[in-house]
Amino acid sequence: MEKVELKKVIKDWRLHAIAFILVAITEAIGQFSIAVGPGVILLLPMLYAFFLGLGLYFTPFISEKNAKNAEPLIILGVTLLIAKIGVTIGPQIEAIIAAGPALLLQELGNLGTIFLALPLAVLLGFRRESIGMTHSIAREPNVGLIVNKFGFSSPEGRGVMAVYIFGTVFGAVFLGLISGLLATATPLHPLSFAMASGVGSGSMMAAASGSLIGAYPELEEQIVAFAGASNLLSLSTGLYFSIFIGLPLTEKLYSIMMRRSERKLAKGGGPDA
Amino acid sequence: MLKSVIEWTWVLAIFGIAALIGNWFGMDVLPWQAIPGMLVLIAVSLAGLMLEKALPFSMPAVGYIGILAILISLPGVPGSEYVVAWTSQIGILALATPILAYAGISVGSNWADFRKLGFRSFLVAISVFLGTFLGSALIAEVILRWQGII
Repeated sequence: MEKVELKKVIKDWRLHAIAFILVAITEAIGQFSIAVGPGVILLLPMLYAFFLGLGLYFTPFISEKNAKNAEPLIILGVTLLIAKIGVTIGPQIEAIIAAGPALLLQELGNLGTIFLALPLAVLLGFRRESIGMTHSIAREPNVGLIVNKFGFSSPEGRGVMAVYIFGTVFGAVFLGLISGLLATATPLHPLSFAMASGVGSGSMMAAASGSLIGAYPELEEQIVAFAGASNLLSLSTGLYFSIFIGLPLTEKLYSIMMRRSERKLAKGGGPDA
Repeated sequence: MLKSVIEWTWVLAIFGIAALIGNWFGMDVLPWQAIPGMLVLIAVSLAGLMLEKALPFSMPAVGYIGILAILISLPGVPGSEYVVAWTSQIGILALATPILAYAGISVGSNWADFRKLGFRSFLVAISVFLGTFLGSALIAEVILRWQGII
């Protein structure tokens, strides 16, 4: 946040005018849903706003400087979002405590990343990059962890940066699109997906839980409370989870997979087999 | 500190206006009905940002903000019924839309890096996000069902 001067950000009236117009237009358009098989993809104003904003970057309306000035608005906007989530959790504190075991244990769901993405990364030919890529969803604390341990220009560092960049650009949009689809297409309960929405990033959580609210407006309060509580938990435990479980497990699984493929190569009689 | 607080207040106020516009156009809540709630949210955010600067712990501002907001809205805490009633005028999506509008404008500058990623990295990154989302949902489902909550 200290990177750009806030005074200049405040006075960037062009940026704010464009943002106000984007918000007004996209909210006035409202929400649409597209049926996909048994499920529904929800198109929400926030998704249009994202893509229109991104599109404007390539027009003369938005300069590189405007784009940089937008960053503090995101950071401080997320603080308002977290405050709103907090005041939604308060009145439901008993329900949150009752759901405590599920909230705590679903944090282990991050391991899904390792079991799903690590084999795919190795299959696609990534080597040690795959450790950086798949040990977590690569938000800032995790980038710090990997860079600290392996160095920025290590294969692991390149890997974590790849997922970091994807997440920065498309993480929120991607989670927003799949959360509504998965919640309507699978037999899992929307509140389970609400807990899953708390991945530790405010904008990603907002997009994922926002789609759930679009699909199940009658559950709005509960969805916000569960997603927000899970997000707070991810924020506070996520890094330690990565240090003590996620990263060691990824490295272990990686070395097991590598040993296996080496053995296969040896059996096949050389690298050509 | 004071300079920071004033600047934070301005940025929060600008963002708040964007959210009030969205709340108005999207949820049909007139801005003046939502202003008290927005002021509460801005006050909580400011308090959290100040605590982060003032206290020696390594907790990020959003941690303080989350805890503070929960505390002032707990049943039985004096004034909490006002906090809840006022802030209920602001939809969560009305806050999400301006965040993503500014995010869209801002990530344009990451576009060059993004294009360099390549298809394989793209596939792995998608499976990273899908994996954690589905993994958490599956575990939550099992436990919530077992507890009889859903």
